[in-house]
Amino acid sequence: MSHRDLILWCSTLGFELVLCVLVYARGLQRRLPFFSCYVTLLLLGTLGMEPIYVHFGFRSPTFYYADWITMGLNTMGRSLAIAELCNYGLRAYRGVWSITWRFLTILVFVFLGHAAIDAWGQPSWFATYVLTLARDVEFTSVLVLIALLFIRRYYGIGLESLEKWIAVGICLFCVVDAVNKTMLRDLLSSSFFHLSRMQPEIEQLNELCNIINRSAFMVSMGIWCFALRKPLPAPAATPQLLPAGVYEELSPAVNLRLRAFNDRLLEMLKP
Amino acid sequence: MSELTIVIALAISFSLVLLRLLIPRRHAHKDGSEIDLSIENTLPRHYRYLPQVRQALSAIDAKYLNEKASPAVARKAIQERRAITRHFLAGLLEDFSSLERLARTVAALSPAISREQETARLILGVKFRVLYVWVWLRLSTGHVPLGQIGQLTNQVGIFAARMEEAMVAVSALSAPELNT
Repeated sequence: MSHRDLILWCSTLGFELVLCVLVYARGLQRRLPFFSCYVTLLLLGTLGMEPIYVHFGFRSPTFYYADWITMGLNTMGRSLAIAELCNYGLRAYRGVWSITWRFLTILVFVFLGHAAIDAWGQPSWFATYVLTLARDVEFTSVLVLIALLFIRRYYGIGLESLEKWIAVGICLFCVVDAVNKTMLRDLLSSSFFHLSRMQPEIEQLNELCNIINRSAFMVSMGIWCFALRKPLPAPAATPQLLPAGVYEELSPAVNLRLRAFNDRLLEMLKP
Repeated sequence: MSELTIVIALAISFSLVLLRLLIPRRHAHKDGSEIDLSIENTLPRHYRYLPQVRQALSAIDAKYLNEKASPAVARKAIQERRAITRHFLAGLLEDFSSLERLARTVAALSPAISREQETARLILGVKFRVLYVWVWLRLSTGHVPLGQIGQLTNQVGIFAARMEEAMVAVSALSAPELNT
């Protein structure tokens, strides 16, 4: 491990340790259990990869597969944390949640389907296939979070500071990672037929991507640590819902009036 | 354009949208929530200026100006009338938005909502804004007769009166729930 790699590894581990301590000290595992599991998984991943690296070496197949498996587990953990974030703030608003979860599920399936098709078109090589899939999963995560924030804003449902910072951290990391993976995949795809000649360039880019990725990841963890610096405020009170009849009566009436506004504007535009 | 360029453009767009979504709106509460069922904040208000706008737009006034005033004064008066109409149109947008906000608030606080109603309202909102920009542009270029705006204000006034009745009924229905 080079001096620079060691510094990166130690900083990542440091951030993960501080974050883990803060998560459990603030009792976040009771409020957002999947996010807490994801943070723990990150720490275990970093700690677990070290003995494999020392024992088998960076170029060993064991390290290669362990790295992919860790990446897969982290992606799964993050996806569950995102799903939890969606549910956490909206579950009290039963009507909105009933529409939101369906919409977000369709969005996820559409984009994951696109990811699978996109990945399928790549040269039949494990790395490019997984890189394409992972890149599209990152974009799906960002899109789901943006859709969630949009729905909350649309219905005027506030966002707790902690949720906001968690979403920002996830988005930042996903966006940077998606760009990195695209760069790496492009190079891997273009050098598919002359791999040995391009090897130094691939390694150089891989190293650069690794530095950028880890830095973005540390910034994300820094954001989460910042959000957890103070004890968590009490969760927002559950809103008192209106009787079902109010919506059934008022919503069609309002829509009718909004439609009439449009009709009048249209009439004005007629010659 | 290479795929990397597209991905970078997407990444920048996502970041900007995210930033935009995270900035709380002007009328949001401290916690970012905008849920408000008070009648004074949700009902259309600008229709109350209907008599003044009607007066400003009246055809008799316009005819009188054309006959009695010098061309320069008449032109200036027409420009001012158009400015008033544009302001009123902006108020109309505000009224439309208030109605939309009311419907969204009721939807947020309802145990079950209809997908069709919500989609229809979303489309109506987009359509209104497109039409609004169109009318505003045509009004600015003098292509919309001012008299038609008068008819529109009439309509808004009737709607608002009906909505006020409906809101009083909603408040009466929801008050015990919200107070518990």
